[in-house]
Amino acid sequence: MPEAARGTPKASERLRRLLVMVPYLVQHPGTELAEVTRLFGVGEDALLDDLNLLFVSGLPPYGPGDLIDVDIQDGRVWVRMADYFSRPLRLSRTEALALYLRGTAAAAIPGLSEATALTSALRKLEEGLGPTTLLGRLPQVVEAAEGARPAETLEALREAAAAHERVRIEYHAASSAETTSRKIDPEEVFFAVGNWYVVAWDQRSGEERLFRADRIRTVSPTGERFDPRGLAGAGRPLYTPSERDVPVRLLLHPGARWVAEYYEVGSALERDDGDLEIVLPASRLEWVERLLLRLGGEAEALDPPVLKDRVRELARRTAERYRMG
Amino acid sequence: MQPLERLVNLVALLLDSRRPLTFEEIRERMPGAYEQADLDTAKRMFERDKDILRDIGIPVDVVATDVWDAEQGYTISKDEYYLPEITFTSEEISALFVAARTGGQDTSAEEAVRKLLYGAEGGLLAGSTGVPMSPDGGPTDARLTAAAEAIAERRRIHFAYRTARGETSERHVDAYGLVFRGGHWYLVGMDRDRGDLRAFRVSRLASDLEDHGDGGSPPHGFRAADHVQPGPWPPGEHGDRARVALSPDVAWIARRSVEGVETLTTRDDGWVEIALPAGEPAWIASWVLSYGPDAEVLEPPALRAEVLRRLEATIAGA
Repeated sequence: MPEAARGTPKASERLRRLLVMVPYLVQHPGTELAEVTRLFGVGEDALLDDLNLLFVSGLPPYGPGDLIDVDIQDGRVWVRMADYFSRPLRLSRTEALALYLRGTAAAAIPGLSEATALTSALRKLEEGLGPTTLLGRLPQVVEAAEGARPAETLEALREAAAAHERVRIEYHAASSAETTSRKIDPEEVFFAVGNWYVVAWDQRSGEERLFRADRIRTVSPTGERFDPRGLAGAGRPLYTPSERDVPVRLLLHPGARWVAEYYEVGSALERDDGDLEIVLPASRLEWVERLLLRLGGEAEALDPPVLKDRVRELARRTAERYRMG
Repeated sequence: MQPLERLVNLVALLLDSRRPLTFEEIRERMPGAYEQADLDTAKRMFERDKDILRDIGIPVDVVATDVWDAEQGYTISKDEYYLPEITFTSEEISALFVAARTGGQDTSAEEAVRKLLYGAEGGLLAGSTGVPMSPDGGPTDARLTAAAEAIAERRRIHFAYRTARGETSERHVDAYGLVFRGGHWYLVGMDRDRGDLRAFRVSRLASDLEDHGDGGSPPHGFRAADHVQPGPWPPGEHGDRARVALSPDVAWIARRSVEGVETLTTRDDGWVEIALPAGEPAWIASWVLSYGPDAEVLEPPALRAEVLRRLEATIAGA
């Protein structure tokens, strides 16, 4: 960027926003300012600055009849005399692609209530933007393939979170391989890397907990309500390290490599013989035992030393079923 | 005059004008905008403004305004400027907003929806809580978009890729398709160095994509999703069926976790017997073992023997 243009990014950002916002305001006379700030992700002060500027803009010779007419009354806004801004600037290629790709991924999420509307919106986008302009042959070569079925409890969890209702759940914790019943205050239901989660205050432990929705067997109302504590939802790390964590060290042979992909791994060390040594943070060993059981000879437990014996014991108990029959 | 005011007026003037305007005309019609005494200084300022407009995607064209090409005029093509008319229902717009807010820091998708809003009904987001989602992780947005462009244009691309084994290598790939599975995007294409179709997880691209010219066409009947298998493989759709017993503790969750499960019976002891496509024996054995003593293969005998063999190997070695 040339030296002298350094002072202008702010102006270009504001211009970009105005060219999107003004068409909406022209088409929707009397929109509430609060609605505008929400839709366009702009603060009220910045919005008023922009509108005040619009008020002195327009066409030559810039007489009263040439300027854009902006009227703000009782928290609502009217924009007139801006026919040339009655439709927005078209989507850039980057914008169109970003929206199309995110939309395609989201439409494949099992249990997303907006999926039908999203699919038809994407089709309109393909048709409206045209095959020659923005998307090319992309729709034919992009697909989303989420196999898993939606958790049956998803809708009940969402409703409880929206209404701040305390619920009782039956939960199968993979970490301990146990199913327990507990009361939770569900604050947010969100989707991350292939699964739905609910972040909640767990009355049983008196702690914040993250539950995977597909491991919640039942959701039943308690009739109680709660005040949200503002727990962090989407975007949070899916595993929160704690003081109780035991560093588990495993050696993965090639057939067990997927473990390093599938779980959040603390560190991974490539060995010369093609094995991968990983450290998994774990607060319980039960799930690691079952993981090693399924990996069979493809992985070895290195740390903690007790792990090896516990896996062997679990294998013995499981093998009994096969020897009896 | 504020820079923003000058820019808004310039866009308005060019959009409203039926013919290209020369710089002198623009200068004259926009008093206070480019009024520097020195014409070169004024022109430079105008050029910078024009670049800003182009940067944000406004199609400002420069055309000759006389037959001798002596004078240049500036114009904005209405056809190229305005968004084509697409009408969305309020549910569709809300759904697009939900989708646009998934993923990382990049706001391009959200900007796109804001542009589409203008023709929709008011009060759009009033009842919409939205679906919060976590990103795939890493600065992959730009690379994903670049991959999509390469695929749309059937380009050959070059990039560094870090495999699941943690090894990084250089790849030359004819880009054929994109697949979203298990929460991740995969680029599928012909790996020129290996002469084979491969899938690359976009979040493991270790460099930006570099264009290496035209790529080939995908083979007949190509389906990108056929080439993407994340994590522990799911059982196949063909072959015999396996019978498995599950303890009451895990039956409900185990049944939900795979496709094609059929519930046969609930025994007196509460255990549930299911049938599922046997597919890959190694995978079923691994899946059953992940439930420890809470699951048991009943049939076929060969699979039962395989599970026991694995258990005995674990007891012996671990």
